[in-house]
Amino acid sequence: MDFFVLALWLLRLAFLAVLYLFLYTVVRALLRDLRAAAREPGAELGRLVVVASTGDPPPGSVFALDAVTTIGRDVNNTVVIDDPFASGDHAALTFRGRAWYVEDLGSTNGTYVNGSPVEGVAPLGFGDEIQVGQARFRLDRARR
Amino acid sequence: MARLGSGSIERVGEDGPHIPTWHVPVTGATARPLPAIVPGLRPRPRWRELQLLGLVAVALFVGSVSLGATVRARAAAAADAPLPDGALAPHDLTALLVYLGVLLAAHVIQVMAGRRTDQVLLPAVGLLGGLSLLLMQRLPQSLAGQLGGLAQTQLVWLVLAFAVITLLAVGVRSDSWLRLYKYTWAAVGVGLLVLTFAFGRDVNGARLTLDLGPISGQPSELLKVILVVFLAGYLSEFRPLLVEQSTRLGPLRLPPLPYLAPMVAMWAIALGIVVIQRDLGAALLFFAVFLTLLYVATARASYVVIGLGLFVAGSAVMYRLFGHVAQRVDIWLDPFVDPQGAGYQVVQALYAFGRGGILGTGLGNGLPTVGGRLPIPEIHTDFPLAALGEELGLIGVLAILGLYLVVIERGLRIAASAADDFRALLAAGLSLVVGVQAFIIAAGNLKLIPLTGITLPFISYGGSSLLANALVVGLLLALSDRAVEPPPPRPPRSRLARIVDRGAR
Repeated sequence: MDFFVLALWLLRLAFLAVLYLFLYTVVRALLRDLRAAAREPGAELGRLVVVASTGDPPPGSVFALDAVTTIGRDVNNTVVIDDPFASGDHAALTFRGRAWYVEDLGSTNGTYVNGSPVEGVAPLGFGDEIQVGQARFRLDRARR
Repeated sequence: MARLGSGSIERVGEDGPHIPTWHVPVTGATARPLPAIVPGLRPRPRWRELQLLGLVAVALFVGSVSLGATVRARAAAAADAPLPDGALAPHDLTALLVYLGVLLAAHVIQVMAGRRTDQVLLPAVGLLGGLSLLLMQRLPQSLAGQLGGLAQTQLVWLVLAFAVITLLAVGVRSDSWLRLYKYTWAAVGVGLLVLTFAFGRDVNGARLTLDLGPISGQPSELLKVILVVFLAGYLSEFRPLLVEQSTRLGPLRLPPLPYLAPMVAMWAIALGIVVIQRDLGAALLFFAVFLTLLYVATARASYVVIGLGLFVAGSAVMYRLFGHVAQRVDIWLDPFVDPQGAGYQVVQALYAFGRGGILGTGLGNGLPTVGGRLPIPEIHTDFPLAALGEELGLIGVLAILGLYLVVIERGLRIAASAADDFRALLAAGLSLVVGVQAFIIAAGNLKLIPLTGITLPFISYGGSSLLANALVVGLLLALSDRAVEPPPPRPPRSRLARIVDRGAR
């Protein structure tokens, strides 16, 4: 009987231990998964879709976004737009940590997010529309 | 495949050529597909899932042996007889093997289908269901009359639930049937509500059960899934409007008023459920899921603040006007006013948690077996956490809550990597509906909030609850496959834009 009581007691603890072993295994797998997703090489962080424009790039073009993307008329920008209302260095999109921000680089005609002008740096969400000159862009989720 | 703009992906100061993302293998693709056995069938191994299912099998086997040994020892002690030989054996080996067999079958079918779906959800839900089976085996079998007792009925429902999960995980290849018909689904939901109100059967003072010939069910369980589908469709369509515009009222920036209408309607429906169906739990669940989804979609705290304000106002009025609401709140505030009457259930549940302590009394060793009398009424549907808390203790309850957290984490992870807003909102909503429901009933059992009669997902006894939650998990699994056909392009913003588009073409 004593052996039985001891065995039963051990069984009870073993059951709880296996429950936690399961949780531990799951959490370890989840963490590995999260880390893998975080350092996936070459992963795009978002995409910029041209909604409307008068010249180059044509509406419907898609740009895969890096952590820093500059927009303007100057050829050294990441996204070069051929638009008389855009400044040479017009705006910059930056991905900081977990969210997107847009910054106006002192453009003549201003940068607009969903129709309201950007003063300094403004946060951006997926689906927001950015206007630079006459061109309008939409920030979309990265395709994975 | 999306077209790239001219000169678009020149990166400054980067070594090596740029690799477009779609050439990078998706995570989890490291395992090579097995050779095709039948043409058209490409099995893909799921080692992680198999490993976790192995752990589930070990856990349930140990639990079953623990339960069986305790039950036999108690029976022997009660009859003053010596301990029978082989007392250290599973309680009901057949039921355990049937359950584990079903889990294995679900795994094998998913391997054969070869989809890249989530590998953690099935084992987590399998362990919760297994705990439910162990609990139902140790409660008095007379609690449910059909199919030879409580455990057997629950086993049948669990088998059906995993059949639903597997079917959805393998079969759902597109979400357009949910995306395109959101108003149809909403109409179905309202129809169910009206049907329940008109033809429903009163059980314990709440009109929740609908009889359709030989089948009876609780539509509110199905309704929560429909609600999430509708909200995901509605919010993903109107998200830009909800985020961009605002109504200024003095210093306050309020959301645009026209789009507040569905919010108010939702609030009215929740209150209606309380008044007409007397179902506090469902009302609380629906409203909480609605608010969280609204916040997920817009990231605007003002919606949540307004929603909570409406909730508090509504609750205060309800408390004054309706006796059943006031009674629940009074019990919650102090159950010991009437410990043998109104507060009996809650008081007994608190005692059960107290008896359990940190390590618990051991499976099968709790009070419910004494004299075959139930200390907690409705323990199998409303208080399974109290029963498990008594027998597995604080440690066991924390593990169970951890399992729910795992389910929620997987859901939110699926949402975070979803390809578009609808899928993200759908996945977030589906996982939140399970999480919020588990929270509401667990907190109710622990007297953290007033008790409401909803089920603990995957653990409570009951077919409606198990099948509805299986629907949720099945959809989550289907959504987690990133190879699902790409979502349709966004529709043009207005009818005018559509006409202009057509003219240009």
